[in-house]
Order: sequence, then structure tokens, then C-alpha cells
Amino acid sequence: MSIIKDVQSGKKPLKRAYVAIFLWFTGRAIQAAAKVDSEVKKEFEKLPEDFTFSLGCLPCGPWMVVGREKGVVKYLGGDSRGRPVQVRLAIKSLDAGFLILSFQESTALATARNRLITDGEIPQALAIIRILDIVEVYLLPKLIASLAVKRYPSWWSFGRKLGGRIGVYTRTLLGI
Amino acid sequence: MNSAAVFDFTCPVKTNSGNKALEHLPVELAGLNAVNPLIVANARAVGPKAVRTLMNAFGDSKMTLGLFEGVTEAADLGVVDHLKNICLEKKYDAFIALGGGKAADVAKVLNLAVSLKTPDARQLSPKTPVRKRLLPLVVVPTAGADGLETSGFAHLNRMIFSSEFLAPGLAVLDSRLARARKGILMAATGLAALGRAVESHVSADRNPFQKAYSFAAVRFVRENLPAAVADPGNKKAALAVLNAAAMSGCAFSNAASGRLHKLGQVFYELLGIPQGVIMGMCLSRVLEDGFREGSCDPAALLQPLAGDDAFARTPAGKRAEAALALLNRFLEELRGALGKDLPKSLSEAGVSGYRKEEILDVLGKDEDGHYLRGVVEGMAGGKRERKG
Repeated sequence: MSIIKDVQSGKKPLKRAYVAIFLWFTGRAIQAAAKVDSEVKKEFEKLPEDFTFSLGCLPCGPWMVVGREKGVVKYLGGDSRGRPVQVRLAIKSLDAGFLILSFQESTALATARNRLITDGEIPQALAIIRILDIVEVYLLPKLIASLAVKRYPSWWSFGRKLGGRIGVYTRTLLGI
Repeated sequence: MNSAAVFDFTCPVKTNSGNKALEHLPVELAGLNAVNPLIVANARAVGPKAVRTLMNAFGDSKMTLGLFEGVTEAADLGVVDHLKNICLEKKYDAFIALGGGKAADVAKVLNLAVSLKTPDARQLSPKTPVRKRLLPLVVVPTAGADGLETSGFAHLNRMIFSSEFLAPGLAVLDSRLARARKGILMAATGLAALGRAVESHVSADRNPFQKAYSFAAVRFVRENLPAAVADPGNKKAALAVLNAAAMSGCAFSNAASGRLHKLGQVFYELLGIPQGVIMGMCLSRVLEDGFREGSCDPAALLQPLAGDDAFARTPAGKRAEAALALLNRFLEELRGALGKDLPKSLSEAGVSGYRKEEILDVLGKDEDGHYLRGVVEGMAGGKRERKG
């Protein structure tokens, strides 16, 4: 018997499922927010036609792919194969992804802790981060959203928050 | 320090430190073009939980890992040769040393043997030329590390292998592995880091890069070691001590081998006493003697030990004495906190007379042997020997 054991790396099904569901829901919410929120719409309009970005965990996913198709923002699933991706936001590990997406670490803190890799143009990546921040504010209650974003937009009107939330949630759940 | 002087400084070590730093390993290894790593560990020293934590960090990466957890304090080049044959057969392309001390030494020499495809690793010696980059080496120090993990040195078979290519490409310091069960383990790590950083910081030929590493290491130890010793489960303090150890290794790689290091190493290799314990015993004396001989400048220690304000308030002529007094107070506080766990003399450390003679024989062969033997004699009864 060899003194060296070969060990297959294990699996983390619960964390993987949580991250996959979160990315799936957020992807659909971005698609919805692009129709409901004017700021998100403007951010996407500044990005090139057929622009696609992905967000996910290294080395084996899960991923979320969102892109513009003929001017319309669409959630394109979890697989970017066969499609050029202009910006890839990669979280270094599934555990780091879980920390960020379960709001134990804000995006800014995770970046400071070297947990994120950006592959693509920095201005476009920053636009995506701004879009993600807005979507998180719509999706999450203030207490949790404050942990996820760098600065909670207390200057938003009550109407924008309530109307936006209803619109984003309805469209996300219906996938429209 | 003459910053305009010609100097060399090499530190190829990238450091990943903090909460869940281990989980970045699959991506970091991919960045080093490695997909089939071998983990080298002393399971008895680091414990099964540390091995499990490291293995779990690879979860979901779909990688296959080799695991050798049988490193012992008696590991030699024979073990390295046996491992080398298996590594070449199984085509491992990177090495991960879990824990400090022998595990890191074995991983470094194994990396050398596998990278050079040495037919018989038992023929390796410090004279073996190392002219090319070796396979990626990652060190994951745990509580009880000695700081040499991040250095370009490996001690095996009473030989010192030295090359910048032996230094790891990546050091991963994770707070889950930094915590110790006993305060003495933290003290040994912190004092080893302090000893090497101090020697590097006060040496006459220090350069600005070396000074930056040793400055941070001394300050980290000063600020965090008491808390880590008082509560070995304190993640933040323990991680800071581990960081200090890693930095001291980088600084030490670029400094001449000092008296403290030599003393610590000889006791560790012959008797298995942690270097930090021995360095803590003789740190004050070696510094005071060096100051008296004019071979070192303890004044440089005041800023990292006392802080910027105290350093600025102290007149330049009194900084050396102030630094030495502060260092003595720091060591006394540590001894007070640990009580009998941190021996003050060789007799308290359980070193018998004939083992001391063995140590004296080995030290006698060193170029600085006469002085080092004097220090050991002084440590024997815990008394301070003064010249003249």
C-alpha cells in the first residue's frame, strides 16, 4: 500500500444550491429591473449592444449570465458557452460566494479581501456593480441590503422603493 | 541605514491571509498551472482537524489530491527519496506543506528532488546546484509554525539547504488553522518570529525592504502575542502572530544567519525544543552583547516596539536602552502569563547535562562557536553571565 493516499475533493451541495438559486433569482431580477427602474435602464443603455456579463464562482460555478439582445436585457441562464462574454466577475471560491451572497461580507469588503476577480473592462464592471447594488436594494429588506451594498440609498423616494419592489418581484417571479 | 547602498532583496512569496483564505487554494493553484497537488503534513503535530479543514477547502473543485501525513520529526532524505519516486510515478505537479517545522522542510526538499528529477534524493546536499524554478510550493502554516516556512531554507539531516527557489510561491494563513490549544504554542511561534525579525531589523547590513518586513513582524508580535497567549483561541490575535512569523521568514531569508537563529535551530534539531522557547531565553542577552560589541543597533527596535509617539519622544541617544528595557519587560510579561510553561533556563526546559554537552559540541563547530557556547552556559542555570 502506498504511503500517499489519493483523495477526491468533496462536494458542498448545500452551499452550491444556495449560490445557484441566488444567482438564478438575481439574474431574473436584473432582467426585471432593467424594465422597471430608469437608472438600471440607463446603465444598460450605456453598455455596448450585445453586451454580456457573467457572475459566478471559480473553479466550477455556478454562474449567472446576463446580456443585451437587440436592446433588451435578458437573463441567459447559467452557462455562457457559445456566447462571447465581455465582463466576467468571478468569485474565487464557492465559500467566498456563499459569504458574499449570504450577506456575511459586503461586495466592497469581499473585493478588499481579494475574493473577486474582474476579467474585462473596469468601467463596464463598475456599471454592473452599480446595477447589482440597485437590484439588491429592491430585492432585500433595508437591514440586509445595508450589509450587501456599500451605501444604502436612503435618498430614494418611498414611491420608487415600493413601486420598484412590486414591479421587480412580479416580473422576476413571472420571468417577464 | 544607507538606502543608497547597493542591496539585494528577494521575496517570491505571495500571501493569502484571513478568514476562509484556504478556500482560494484551487484557484491559486490553477494560477500556478498546478492541478494535481500533494499535501505533505505531520498529522500528529497539526491534528486531524487541520488536515480535514485543508481537504474541505478543495470541496467542489473536482480535484484529486495526494495526501502524505506521515512526516515525523525524524524524517530524513530517505523518506524524501521514497516520496520522490511515488511523486514522479503519480505526476504530482505541486506541493502543499501543512504546518510548520519538519513538514515544510520535507516539502521543500521533496520539491527540489522531484523538480530536479534527482535519481537518488539521499545524495542531495546543500552543494546541489539549484539553477531553475522548482514546481509550485504552497505553505499553510498552523499554530506552532516557526516562521522558516516562508524562507528559502530547509533543514534536513542536519544539513541546511538554501536557495531562493526553495521558498514557497504562496503562503496561506487561515484563521481556522492559526488557533492553538495551548498558549505556549503561540508563544513559541511569536518568539521565533520576534527573534528572527529582531535580528534582521537590528543587523548592520539591513536594507529598506528587509526593514519593512521585520518592522511589521516585530510590531505584530508586540501588539498581538500577549492576547494570543492569554487566549489561544483568539482568532484575530493568533492570525496576526502567524502573519508575523511569515514576515519574519521573508526578512530572515535576506539576512545573514544570526546568533539567535543558530541557537534556536540547534536546540530544535537535537532536542526538539521549539526555537521560540530558546530564542525567548537568550534574546535579551544576545541583543545586549551585540549592542556592547557595536555589531547591532537596538535603537531601531524602539519604533516597532513602543509605537511612533514614544519613539519620537525618546532622545536618539537613549533609544537603544529604552528598546532593550521594553523588550525585557515584554518578555517578563509573557513569562508571567505562561508561568512554568515557558522555561527561563535550560534546566527548567528539561535539558540534562549530557545533552547540553552535545549542544555545546555542535555549537563549537560554528564560526561564532565560542560566543554561542557562552550563551548556552549562561542559559543553563538561568543566570545572566556578564563579561568583564
